[in-house]
Amino acid sequence: MTSARNIVSKLSPLLACLGLLALWQVAALWLDTESFPTAWHALQTVPQVLGDPEQLLNILDSIRRMVIGFSLAVLIAIPLGLAMGRSARVSAFFNPLLMMIYPVPKAALMPVIMLWLGVGDASKTLVIFLGVSLPVIYHSFQGAKAVEEKMLWSGAAMGLSGLQRMIRIVLPAALPEILTGCRTGLVLALITMVTSEMIARQSGAGNILFNAMDMAQYDTVFAMIIIIGALGIVLDAAFDKLRWRLVKWAEPHQEILLGAS
Amino acid sequence: MRGKVRKLSPPSERQATGGRMQVPLRPEIDTGTGATSGERARAMIEIASVSKRFETSGRKSHLALSDINLTVNDGAFVSILGPSGCGKSTLLYIVGGFVAPSEGVARMKGAAITGPGPDRGPVFQEFALFPWKTVLGNVMYGLRQQGVKRTEAEAQSLRLIEMVGLKGFEHFYPKELSGGMKQRVAIARTLAYRPSVLLMDEPFGALDAHTRTRLQNDLLNIWERDRKTVLFVTHSVEEAVFLSDKVVVMTRAPGRIKQIVDIDLPRPRIRAELLLDSHYQKYVVDIERMIDDGRDDAEHS
Ligand SMILES: Nc1ncnc2c1ncn2[C@@H]1O[C@H](COP(=O)(O)OP(=O)(O)O)[C@@H](O)[C@H]1O
Ligand SMILES: [Mg+2]
Repeated sequence: MTSARNIVSKLSPLLACLGLLALWQVAALWLDTESFPTAWHALQTVPQVLGDPEQLLNILDSIRRMVIGFSLAVLIAIPLGLAMGRSARVSAFFNPLLMMIYPVPKAALMPVIMLWLGVGDASKTLVIFLGVSLPVIYHSFQGAKAVEEKMLWSGAAMGLSGLQRMIRIVLPAALPEILTGCRTGLVLALITMVTSEMIARQSGAGNILFNAMDMAQYDTVFAMIIIIGALGIVLDAAFDKLRWRLVKWAEPHQEILLGAS
Repeated sequence: MRGKVRKLSPPSERQATGGRMQVPLRPEIDTGTGATSGERARAMIEIASVSKRFETSGRKSHLALSDINLTVNDGAFVSILGPSGCGKSTLLYIVGGFVAPSEGVARMKGAAITGPGPDRGPVFQEFALFPWKTVLGNVMYGLRQQGVKRTEAEAQSLRLIEMVGLKGFEHFYPKELSGGMKQRVAIARTLAYRPSVLLMDEPFGALDAHTRTRLQNDLLNIWERDRKTVLFVTHSVEEAVFLSDKVVVMTRAPGRIKQIVDIDLPRPRIRAELLLDSHYQKYVVDIERMIDDGRDDAEHS
């Protein structure tokens, strides 16, 4: 019984993908225009794109920028968010700034940033950094604010200093919330990655996509959409696996242990 | 009404003045017993003229504690009893060093308390366990913090876990435990780093009656073994009388000490015997009446 349910739950993402592709296939056959290739056709183009060393390098460039932008953002946003969550003064200082940046689509800053930093890696990485930072700061802030005071008192009674409490109590206690922010940040990283390359065409997955668009190579356009989409799905799934490992102590419903003993 | 509110002076002083103390109950027993024993109990905690004023929104302030004087002797089990909101927790937090008094001073072994420290171990009603740590991880935490080697900390913690009746649950996470079990872990976690004083804030308040009784018994057994100083906050009269050497009865808003009652019941205390004991019953009834008096006073004033 459980195994059957397990198989279904494991297969459901795959089934969803297949369903989407099938829908695409039907829609493309029905519309029958040159600018909308069938799913099958687009899939066949994927190995072609990935097989081209120049294209592959472009895509790897994108991934590199995304990884750097994401990592830097997480490294800075988590401590900042936690500090804001625990200190009214830090929060009062940064809040107005963040309130202003928050609603601005980060890609819209791209032209200005390009004026300062050029069209190269720096601009694009910075935009990714900005896109990822805000949700991570926000969730770290919420997580830190929600940490039960008595937990910190218990730590203080054991002799933990303020910094130790921050690292060894606030950080783990807020981790589930922080990782929720990181997951949102990861998706935003992918989105800002593509948009930044769309604005500053020079290299990257977005560059391939929009160049192909300009040249009416619709097979490549859709193959790139599949590649970027697959990248997103794989990253998200991998991250969720990591998240589960890190915070399984917080997951509310699980049949672990208690049933076993 | 004010006349009833008497301050507690240190035991030595009380004995010197030959005062009847604050205890109208069974005075034939409590006069002069301390003096004849020769050895004078050491003061572990001294609370001297402590007041606490909370600044609330709108420029008003709330006097939570007013002029509290209390001495807790080494090895004593002292309960603070009073209606909710009378400042029991605040008083305990001041001793814990988590909250600073607005006036007065709290001392621990003669030194003014300026912050939390491992000599005073808190146990909260909310358990406040570290949910990312297993039972063993929680209990070991304080020992590891004090630099005890992992294997040694583990061995000590396993013994404590067994003592609080959680053998077999070492590797469970807090969310997998019931409320009573969580509080057992919290008690073990605090006992682990060997504080001189246990500060317990309604530790059994969130538990059902049955679990509560069991934990009271177990706490008493543990306490009777090593006679740590305990400051225990509760709003249950029975719990206070059953556990304590001394019950501090507080009045509401602003929190003051109304009376301090010495509970002169033999130890070890067996619940089944005690419930039938007329002295025990008298303590409970008298203290309940005391609290009711306070309520009437408050209503009339
Ligand atoms: N941090 C705080 N800020 C403002 N008021 C507080 C704070 N903590 C406690 N109080 C007030 O002080 C009074 C005593 O609280 P508390 O010590 O928690 O009472 P008890 O533990 O006896 O129920 C209550 O009226 C409460 O509202
Ligand atoms: Mg309280």
